[in-house]
Amino acid sequence: MHESRLAHYLNDAEKAGMTLADVARDLANAGWTPAHLATAIGSPMVPSGTIDVIEVSDLVKRYGQFTAVGGISFTVRRGEIFGILGPNGAGKTTTLEMIEGLRTPTAGTIHIDGLSVTTHTNDVKRRIGVQPQASTFFDGLTLRETLALFGALYGRTVDPEALLADVQLGEKAGSMVKELSGGQKQRFSIAVGLVNDPVVLFLDEPTTGLDPQARRNLWDLIRQVNARGTTVVLTTHYMDEAEVLCDRIAVMDHGAIVALDATDRLLAAHGGDAVIEFTSDHQIGDGVLAALADVRSVRQADGVHFVTTAQPRHTLDELFGAGRAHGFSIGALTLKRPTLEDVFLNLTGHQLRE
Amino acid sequence: MNTFRSLVVSSALIFLRSRQALFFTLFMPLVIMFIFGLIGFDKAPTYDIGVVAASAQPATVQFIDRLKEFEMLKVHEGSLADERAALEAGERVVVLVIPGDLIDAAGDAPKEVVVYVNDGQPAQVQSIVSMLSQYLDKTSLALAHAPTFFTLRQERVESRDLKYIDFLLPGLIAMSVMQMSVFSVAFLFVQYKEKGVLKRLAATPMRPFQFVAANAVTRLAVSFVQTAIFILVGVLVLDATVVGSYWLIALCVILGALMFLGLGFTVSGIAKTVESVPALANLIVFPMLFLGGTFFPLSSMPEWLQTGAKLLPLTFFSTPLREVMTKGAGFSAIAGDLLGMVVWGAILIGTATLTFGLQERDSA
Repeated sequence: MHESRLAHYLNDAEKAGMTLADVARDLANAGWTPAHLATAIGSPMVPSGTIDVIEVSDLVKRYGQFTAVGGISFTVRRGEIFGILGPNGAGKTTTLEMIEGLRTPTAGTIHIDGLSVTTHTNDVKRRIGVQPQASTFFDGLTLRETLALFGALYGRTVDPEALLADVQLGEKAGSMVKELSGGQKQRFSIAVGLVNDPVVLFLDEPTTGLDPQARRNLWDLIRQVNARGTTVVLTTHYMDEAEVLCDRIAVMDHGAIVALDATDRLLAAHGGDAVIEFTSDHQIGDGVLAALADVRSVRQADGVHFVTTAQPRHTLDELFGAGRAHGFSIGALTLKRPTLEDVFLNLTGHQLRE
Repeated sequence: MNTFRSLVVSSALIFLRSRQALFFTLFMPLVIMFIFGLIGFDKAPTYDIGVVAASAQPATVQFIDRLKEFEMLKVHEGSLADERAALEAGERVVVLVIPGDLIDAAGDAPKEVVVYVNDGQPAQVQSIVSMLSQYLDKTSLALAHAPTFFTLRQERVESRDLKYIDFLLPGLIAMSVMQMSVFSVAFLFVQYKEKGVLKRLAATPMRPFQFVAANAVTRLAVSFVQTAIFILVGVLVLDATVVGSYWLIALCVILGALMFLGLGFTVSGIAKTVESVPALANLIVFPMLFLGGTFFPLSSMPEWLQTGAKLLPLTFFSTPLREVMTKGAGFSAIAGDLLGMVVWGAILIGTATLTFGLQERDSA
């Protein structure tokens, strides 16, 4: 269902005296998830917007003989955090910069908010916020002055103090950019990306080179920005970052998208099986363990049992039941779940980081 | 706030807060002005001459004393050996040997006064020898009690006294505006390019032209401030004289700054890294410092060099500025040079547009 028709539908539903359950079923059938519904209703963009805020189709970028991006298509949904995960050189940044209107595609189309990036470049630029990889600002301008300038570039008068407070840099308003730490610089860069209240915020490798504490702070900030209704598109070569932050992930390798789905679905589909490891004070026959739900294989080494399972929750449930039934204890239990690293390895046959 | 005004204010702040820019724009040219202004190239030269007197009779002493009254001569008395040695060492232009019986009795055969001349300084020798022979003629006439037929009376006519600082000041203004326009733009924009600032700007709806124009406007303002400071310091401290229309001075400065801003943007378009800027910029700017009529007039160069030097952008800038500031030339007198600046400006701004782009060239 088109978003513009949502208001009409709800109106009609009310007149017809439909129950809430019926409305919810209708909307679910039409492809609306609660998250999308929330953003759609809470957002002033409802009349013109659609669920998909970015539509990329058959996007190609070639440099001479070299194909950096080889015909990719995907959509980004309003309100989500969308990740493009891949190793260096996979074509992530090239893709992002084409979407941002910084590079001209060799072929294919990109629409943001229904506007073509190639024909309405400036209209698109007004709607997006950008944090380029390792972006720097002007030496000789304070944070406050930089924000005011960038606001002016969008024809806006901004409140630098409020923007800085949002990224926990309120006390640095009078400092120069070069006086900031790496993490502060990235937070400031996000503040600059937000001067125009963008519909979509693009972050290119936002946490590369940051220490773990600074990375976590930045993740919190990205979540906050997203929680206020801004769609976030980020590239990363850190699988933990993608896993922690992203609602959906496009896995990119050699200029192609090899998989695109919600994180947990990617893990389920391509991550392979989980492994339950434990020790016990009793000898347990392999047959007992192999009989547990969803178990794929069982082995034992140095007194440690390894149980490979497609559904660790079910298997663990039954494992504890079996322990009670057969009277064996379960100690030193660990669960090794597949990670995006495994997804990547399984999809491409090579590691994310060479 | 208005986008363009914001950009101008920001680029002015960035300029004013850059120590490097202020050093090259104001401090260095001022130092040069003081050094060259105080050396005083415009004092009349003096010549060292040696005098060897064979005897100390009153007539000889009187002869030598009167010789010492010539302002342009510095007379050294000594033995023939010493003075010849000094001549050979290049410390004397000529050495005059006065015979012992310079004036004993009138009517004898002419006395021979020997002059040893320094072959290495033919021009100086020529003027001194001609002066000496006039002096000797005059002495002969006096001795012969010949009547004086002519006297030469000098009438002072008020004229502009063109001192070296007057010559230097316009050249220095032109040079400083050139340095400022080329270097402040080239360094800054290559740095912007290298650090990704330009890419960040390209992601905004701002038109690249606005950013370039804002920086150009800032630098035009800076070039006026430079010109004002140099004229003030020159006139108040170094006693320079500026005649001529300030409107025409301003016109020259605008055209000159625009032309060299074109060069600055061209350099920043070509240079890939900040490190390559000084080399590339100096390759173009450095020869002009010496050939563009800043420190000495073009007429002091060999003819073939003059022909080339006359076509340099800096020459088209310093020449009309000097004509206006020292001679009060009017628009029509400098129109040719102004046209030269317009042509160079068009060429350099053209190359800037070709080489310089806010967006990085597409490359993998």
